[in-house]
Amino acid sequence: MTEAQTATTLIRRSPATPKKKKSQIGYTLAAIAVVAAIGIFLAQIKVLLSMIWFLGIGLGVILQKARFCFTASLRDPILTGSTSLTRATLIAFAVATVGFAALQFTNLLKGGPVIGNVSPVGIHTAIGAVLFGIGMVISGGCASGTLMRMGEGFAMQWISIITFVIGSVLGAMHFGWWSEHFFNAAPKIYLPGTFGWAGAFFGQLALLGVLYVLATWYEYRKSN
Amino acid sequence: MTTRAMQEIENLRTVVIKDAWPYWLGAIMLGLANICIFIVTAAPWGVTTTFVFWGAWLYQLVGGHPETWSFFTLQPPMLQALKGGILNHGGSIMNIGIIVGAFLSAAAASQFRFKRIKAGRQVVAALAGGLLMGYGARLAFGCNVGAYFSGIASMSLHGWVFGIFIFVGAYLGSKLLVKYFM
Amino acid sequence: MAEFSLDALGEACPIPLLKVQKKWPDLKGGDVLIIHIDHSCALKNIPEWARKEGHNVEVEEVEDGVWDIYIEKTA
Repeated sequence: MTEAQTATTLIRRSPATPKKKKSQIGYTLAAIAVVAAIGIFLAQIKVLLSMIWFLGIGLGVILQKARFCFTASLRDPILTGSTSLTRATLIAFAVATVGFAALQFTNLLKGGPVIGNVSPVGIHTAIGAVLFGIGMVISGGCASGTLMRMGEGFAMQWISIITFVIGSVLGAMHFGWWSEHFFNAAPKIYLPGTFGWAGAFFGQLALLGVLYVLATWYEYRKSN
Repeated sequence: MTTRAMQEIENLRTVVIKDAWPYWLGAIMLGLANICIFIVTAAPWGVTTTFVFWGAWLYQLVGGHPETWSFFTLQPPMLQALKGGILNHGGSIMNIGIIVGAFLSAAAASQFRFKRIKAGRQVVAALAGGLLMGYGARLAFGCNVGAYFSGIASMSLHGWVFGIFIFVGAYLGSKLLVKYFM
Repeated sequence: MAEFSLDALGEACPIPLLKVQKKWPDLKGGDVLIIHIDHSCALKNIPEWARKEGHNVEVEEVEDGVWDIYIEKTA
């Protein structure tokens, strides 16, 4: 961003009439007290649960502060031409890939199984992703985005969580049918198993890098 | 404390608490957070499987028997988690943490506001969108987090396939949004 | 030097930005568009878009969680 773009500009305009703003320090302190109390309560049951609680709080803060939205990362290139969030997700994927690979390879070296989210891939993946993609764009938030916006006070997301749960339940009830016809025959494909550890790891990082360049080009293709 | 020092502290407060963080910073932190989750819980970050449990426990409250759903009968670990209840369910605790964390973060910036529904079309969009996401995530073994983010980071092919087709869905959704919900 | 106003309160992303992009051809150089928003991500993507297009942008928080974005169209 150049200096001219960041410098404060004096836009000619009618004077705004700011309403009285109140500090939300009360809400903030109450929230901190609740967070701490639940953290202590959960630690009595199991320390692990308390750690998970604080990880969840951390995720909520990161998502809200960075306005991080997976929905926008997938939709904005199509609707508004912006790829800034798309590129951000690629960074997140690259960072996580490095850590995940370390955990997975360590476990494999110890003679353990492949850990992580390696699920059956097939037509059902494509159908599910398309349904999910349509849903997240019209409702204005994917799963993490819906939770984040519930916290920010959006009534719309408090409504969509209801059918989100109903949809999940329907999917769970039909799990047997989908297993029989799709999941059971579908392979779980772990890329290092196909391309070798180094090939998959460096190949994936390189692919993320290429996609990053491509996304940047796409956003600025019309400007000089 | 000099005025200048106060000014510097105020600047830092503004950048950290009041203003939005840059996307790249959020991205790095999410990547690290997902690694932490993987280490702590032995599984990567996922959001939507938990929603099945929420539905199941609500169904139990009204006297239903979710343990007969094939999701639970065919997956013994899931049935085990169902019997454990919400207080032993890490996924529920994490999802509620995300809601509370987002509230905390918005309130700390004095930006929390209850946003009412503006038009009926928003209700229709929210209801339809939620249903599609709920069912879709079951078919794809996760959402943008479980299948896309954690799937790709796990170097699983299903993550990449999800990534390609989520764009197809987003394209169709965008057309619908512009046509009916704007 | 006309001034236009756009009410996007209560609209979820990306509708505020789409409304701005739709309205934009109506503005002439020097005109100002004021958008009222309460969706925090619009606070990020509208100024980002306007700056990328080379226009002047100012943001004012008028109430808790409510902002006015001023965009001046450069000629």
